[in-house]
Amino acid sequence: MVRFERIRYKPVPVRELLVEIKDISELMIDLAYSAALYHSHPIAEEVLELEKRVDTLAYLLDMNAMIAARDAKDAESLVGVSVVATAADKISDAAGDIAGLVLREIGVHPLVREAFEKVEEQLTRVVVSSHSILIGKRIGELRLAVRKGVDIIVLRRNKGLKINPEDEEKLHEGDVIVARGAPLGLGKLEKLAEGTTRELEG
Amino acid sequence: MAGEESFKTIIDMLVELKDTSELMMDLAYSSILFNSKELANEVQELEERVDNLHTDFELLVLSRCIKPEESKHFLGLIRLGVVTEKIADAAAQIAEVVLRGLEPHPILGQAIKEAKETVTHVQVSKKSPLVGRSLKEAQVHEHTGMWVLAIKRGDKWLRPKPDTVIEAGDLLIASGYAEGEGEMRTLASNSRAEKGKHSV
Repeated sequence: MVRFERIRYKPVPVRELLVEIKDISELMIDLAYSAALYHSHPIAEEVLELEKRVDTLAYLLDMNAMIAARDAKDAESLVGVSVVATAADKISDAAGDIAGLVLREIGVHPLVREAFEKVEEQLTRVVVSSHSILIGKRIGELRLAVRKGVDIIVLRRNKGLKINPEDEEKLHEGDVIVARGAPLGLGKLEKLAEGTTRELEG
Repeated sequence: MAGEESFKTIIDMLVELKDTSELMMDLAYSSILFNSKELANEVQELEERVDNLHTDFELLVLSRCIKPEESKHFLGLIRLGVVTEKIADAAAQIAEVVLRGLEPHPILGQAIKEAKETVTHVQVSKKSPLVGRSLKEAQVHEHTGMWVLAIKRGDKWLRPKPDTVIEAGDLLIASGYAEGEGEMRTLASNSRAEKGKHSV
């Protein structure tokens, strides 16, 4: 059975919710295609996590927009906000569908990969393990360590999500990191997160 | 072999579906940001194009004699096509807000500007190095990280092609990470001397 998170009203600025929904849905598209091309289960699972988050945010946005409307004029101008959020939610669902393909082992034809590979960058998703040297390090230090064309695009900690996290952010055990870039740097990031490499330099 | 030929066509179509659906998303958000019916109409036209292309794509996939062991791969192709179509639909839905004549709420524009991937517009000044160059030569993406989505010249909207030559006074609509916006302005305005100043 699928478990749905119970959603309670929280006062959150509609603008903030919309920014987050838009950012996450666009990120999800990139992640989803990448998961399909490289047949990556971890990335596909991350997409599904993000999809749940967008669903929750879309509910919250509608609730807050409803409360914000005071008269007919407000309702007319706010309905557009709700439509845009719904469309972004639909985009995130579409990304979720791609992730579903990957997880159900349907996959894509190898020749599609060849055609797309030229345009898509590779992504990786890692979890900071309990014996990783990264615990307590700043994102900035990690960026330096894997600098060879690697871009850290997502930091997820429990329910918190940061897209393009700040350099100052410190890493904790269990943090989920998504990065894109050159395979060499991504490989190094994976080893650092798993704890199989304990040297930041080199 | 005819089979291989049609397979290449299938892949090309899928790539075009994917690219078009992503372009539509950017254009749809731009249409909201600028409350532009022209851009919104452009999205609707692309939506029709995607619908047709998607149908042709599915027909072509189905007309292949698919061996049992290939069926999963081809199902994957069909599903990816469906996804691009869904994204195109969502973009059309966004653009429809503008076409319905609903005054977009100010927070829509604010949210689009605040997002990591933003849409911006810059006017090309007479002194800009872009003037007289084709989009291919201008290498806007290489310089700024932003993609030119549409060009407004006078009253007309042009769809950018590699050989489109940029003229002074053109309004370029571009999307990309917000960090590229300043560089985009510098490139469109003038020389380094004016860097940092937003002279439009």
